[in-house]
Amino acid sequence: MKNPTLRAAAAVAILGLGVSLAACSGGSTSASSDSVRADAEYSGPAVDITFWNGWTGGAAPVLVPKLVAEFNETHPDINVKSNAMEWADISQKMPLAIKAGKGPDVAVAHGDDVATYAAQGLLLKTDDVVDALGYKESDFPEGLMAAGQFDGDQYGVPWSVTPLGLYINKDVLAKAGLDPETVPTDAESYLAALEALKAAGIQGEWADGYVFTGTFEFESLLWQFGGDLFNEDVTEATFNSEAGVKALTWMTDLIKNGYSPANVAQDGNINALIGSETAFNWNGVWQTTNEALQSVSWTAVPVPQIGTEKAVWSSSTHWMFPANKNQDPDKSAAAATFVKWMNDNSADWASTGELPAQNTVREDPALLETYPALAPFLEQLEYAHYETVAPGITNAMAEVTTGVNEAMLGKKSPKEALDDAAEKATQLLKQNKAQYGG
Amino acid sequence: MADPAIVTRLGGGLRPRRAAAGRRTLTAYLFLAPFLVIFAVFVVFPAVYGLWISLHVWNPLLDDHPFVGLQNFFDLFTPGSLTFEDFWESMGATGIFVVASVPFLLAIPLGIAVLLNRKIKGGSVFRGIFFAPYVLGVAVVSVLWRYLLDPQLGVVNAVLGLLGLPSDIPWTVDVPWAWISLVGITVWWTLGLNTVILLAGLKGINPDLYEAASLDGAGAWRKFTSVTLPGLRPVMTFVVTVTLLASANMFGQSFLITQGGPGTATRTAIMYIANQGLVQNQMGAATAMSYLLFAFLAVVSVLNFRLQRDNTK
Amino acid sequence: MSTVTTPTVTAPAPATAATAPAAPARTRKRRRRAPNVLTYAVLFLISFIIVVPLLWMLLTSFKTDFDAISSPASPWPNPFTTEAYGTLATGNLPILRWFANSVIAATAQTAIILVTASAAAYALARLEFRGKKIVFGAIVATLLVPGVVFLIPNYLIVDSFGWLDSLWAIIVPGSAGAFGVFFLRQFFISLPNEIEEAARVDGAGDFRIFWQIILPLSRPALATLAVLSFLTNWNDFIWPIYVLLSPENLTLQPGLSVLQGTYSTHFGIVMAGAVIASVPVLILFTLAQKQIVESVASSGVKG
Repeated sequence: MKNPTLRAAAAVAILGLGVSLAACSGGSTSASSDSVRADAEYSGPAVDITFWNGWTGGAAPVLVPKLVAEFNETHPDINVKSNAMEWADISQKMPLAIKAGKGPDVAVAHGDDVATYAAQGLLLKTDDVVDALGYKESDFPEGLMAAGQFDGDQYGVPWSVTPLGLYINKDVLAKAGLDPETVPTDAESYLAALEALKAAGIQGEWADGYVFTGTFEFESLLWQFGGDLFNEDVTEATFNSEAGVKALTWMTDLIKNGYSPANVAQDGNINALIGSETAFNWNGVWQTTNEALQSVSWTAVPVPQIGTEKAVWSSSTHWMFPANKNQDPDKSAAAATFVKWMNDNSADWASTGELPAQNTVREDPALLETYPALAPFLEQLEYAHYETVAPGITNAMAEVTTGVNEAMLGKKSPKEALDDAAEKATQLLKQNKAQYGG
Repeated sequence: MADPAIVTRLGGGLRPRRAAAGRRTLTAYLFLAPFLVIFAVFVVFPAVYGLWISLHVWNPLLDDHPFVGLQNFFDLFTPGSLTFEDFWESMGATGIFVVASVPFLLAIPLGIAVLLNRKIKGGSVFRGIFFAPYVLGVAVVSVLWRYLLDPQLGVVNAVLGLLGLPSDIPWTVDVPWAWISLVGITVWWTLGLNTVILLAGLKGINPDLYEAASLDGAGAWRKFTSVTLPGLRPVMTFVVTVTLLASANMFGQSFLITQGGPGTATRTAIMYIANQGLVQNQMGAATAMSYLLFAFLAVVSVLNFRLQRDNTK
Repeated sequence: MSTVTTPTVTAPAPATAATAPAAPARTRKRRRRAPNVLTYAVLFLISFIIVVPLLWMLLTSFKTDFDAISSPASPWPNPFTTEAYGTLATGNLPILRWFANSVIAATAQTAIILVTASAAAYALARLEFRGKKIVFGAIVATLLVPGVVFLIPNYLIVDSFGWLDSLWAIIVPGSAGAFGVFFLRQFFISLPNEIEEAARVDGAGDFRIFWQIILPLSRPALATLAVLSFLTNWNDFIWPIYVLLSPENLTLQPGLSVLQGTYSTHFGIVMAGAVIASVPVLILFTLAQKQIVESVASSGVKG
């Protein structure tokens, strides 16, 4: 009586299992990465290629389509389609998409993602492209080329760097009786300014526990106090060191001493700066193109040196070439041509609020003439720190944000929050090592 | 079913019963086939496949899926493991939301339904208005309220400030306010659904019963408890079950409004499971968690049924 | 199911009213909870709470970004501008395409559900066959299984079919829900046997009975299931978020999530997107409101 149903169900189950097992084993070809062909000029058949990036804010959504259109016009054999989505969405969706063969042919991602994607077998090697472009390590800020490497091979091509800076609303400073042209450069002058603002009834720096502002401020301070996120071989989290506790306590003290409200919402601080409710905001160079910001009298300067050394957080973006399932090598070659062209035409990239990574482009005096607001950010590159590079590092970094968030909300003391986060992060690092090796 | 009669009629009494029954079975399965095929592939098979995955460390981006037996499940009960703290925190978050939301999701629609059941003008207009948010969808609703409740930029705090009340309530940023927000928004979004169903149930209660209760001298409240509530029982069972499951499966509001924050305090079990499996690529751990959640919900549902049944005795 | 007897119970009520002496009838009319001011006040208050935020959403969509940030307490745009809509029109977020995808997916899934669930429910309700208890048991058992159990395995299955980032993934997997079968089976069982038996006597086969007798009688239940299925698929969020990748393939719910992420606190633009997503739905709803609401209402009553 039970037979027909059970037999049918079993048949379907076996069939399904077989299908999925086959799908699983089919992925092994991408484990050993191939390289991207870097032709002098693209000479393959006409192709459509997709390009994923996270440039959804500032001037980028206008500039990128313009650049892409220009490229498409001058390269009739290649049609680039650009998909801008949030950075978090890319890191969430791209890996599985590439595995399924639905990922892009070229993408831009942050430096700390490159090693992870490479370890997961998602990228093609870019040694040939780098050679064709004539790039050497010395063409970029220190450590940037290395950030795109995994296991001795190059997987990324540096594109831009994005350090933090101190944004100032000059009107608010004036309201408190401070000279808007005198900018704080160290702990003493910064706290003095905050005190003066407080006396005038203004909360001078709104501090939060969100990744794009609070976490990056914390990391900058951590390095300024001489600490580091992880140990040398990335097996242990070290951001809960004394330096880390000092850094986070300095931030929570802003709330304690009345320089910042509690429970600042995401983007609350930049919006408060725009609304002239606060004077200072530690934010990334990308805010220089925030349209709403242009309606107030603002300036940006290097972040003050609160700790014992000069340091500031910076991220970097890199081109990468996904190794999709059944990736068409012609498409990858076309993508390489696109990347070459973008690099050669990157002078205008500064208008998106990112600093071109290539030293010659950046150090060209014409750049500062056209984009004077970027000067303070360029200044900081000498002592900028980039985040640790290791496969799977982003999940450990998420714990840093959780810790900062909990301390800023007053849920845990800075030491407790950092200790808990570091313990978790170390466990994740172990898991990463087990899964990815290198 | 009038089985023997039909069989003998169809078979003309001449064909053997078994062949007719066999043909009946074939016909039945032909009817069932379209459904069963999809059901087998996307319901039965995944249920089994999920269990299989939960017995491995399964990263979809890597080719090696080492078998680890019940380790993923043990980890969920081992303090200090990678998943223990986060999983139980997310289960706690789910629990908090269910306990906080279900009473409101039942009481408020019930109250509205009672009001709508009276002879009022424009009843169907009200019904339509109350139902509209549900039709808009979880994303529109969440995105809208994320703005209205923004602690610095939203109108709710601005209005509170104008009224002289504290105007810096962290509706979307800190607990317990975030929970209040999530519950409130869910009620706003779905009250129409439960209201409409309960109203239909109310209309199905025989008005004579109310008449009889009045003659017995019962007041409004007595009538409610001894006529309305019992009369609503079958509908209420349905609504309670559906609401419980919906609350336990809450994802969209938390995802869009609080992003599981502060930290991970409003990260529901489903959010954590989906993140572990599809973003952190730990599918083994994630599927193990989903089965544990299933076990919990099964126990709750059984308790719910028992309670409902006991009440009718 | 006590509610099936409802039609027969309300019928005698007017009869008793007619036969009762005049005085009690008048008493009953007065006792039938005459609505008072409080009732209307509460109903209006709730309507207010529902309508005002929606109006706020509309008005904010006509504000500039700066205005939306700097004067939260005032609903009136100052200045009034359509720049938010302009940004959306020239940006690369295809909101109308998302809307179309949602409509296509919800309609297609509803169609599949109606066809497969009605056929399956008919077999379970009206036919005797080997393995019936097992099949029905298996289907009912899955009613209580939370969707998240299927999330990850179905992701892998859908991937192996090559359906990732396509509407097929949104249409097919969810169309085998146990609820539809369960619901229709309940309904079919409640239909009187006599009509069917008469048809069999006339020599009609199972399929003809199903197609020409059962289905036409089931219109209200089918309508209910259609509405519920459509709304469920329309509101689906967690599955499309992970399964759809390219911006143009998104459905409305994950699309709005992307919109919010992209424009973050540019609330004028986010609200404009929400308005675009809402207006067509609200128009359709207003037109079909009575049908929709009544269909949903009867789901609880029959379930």
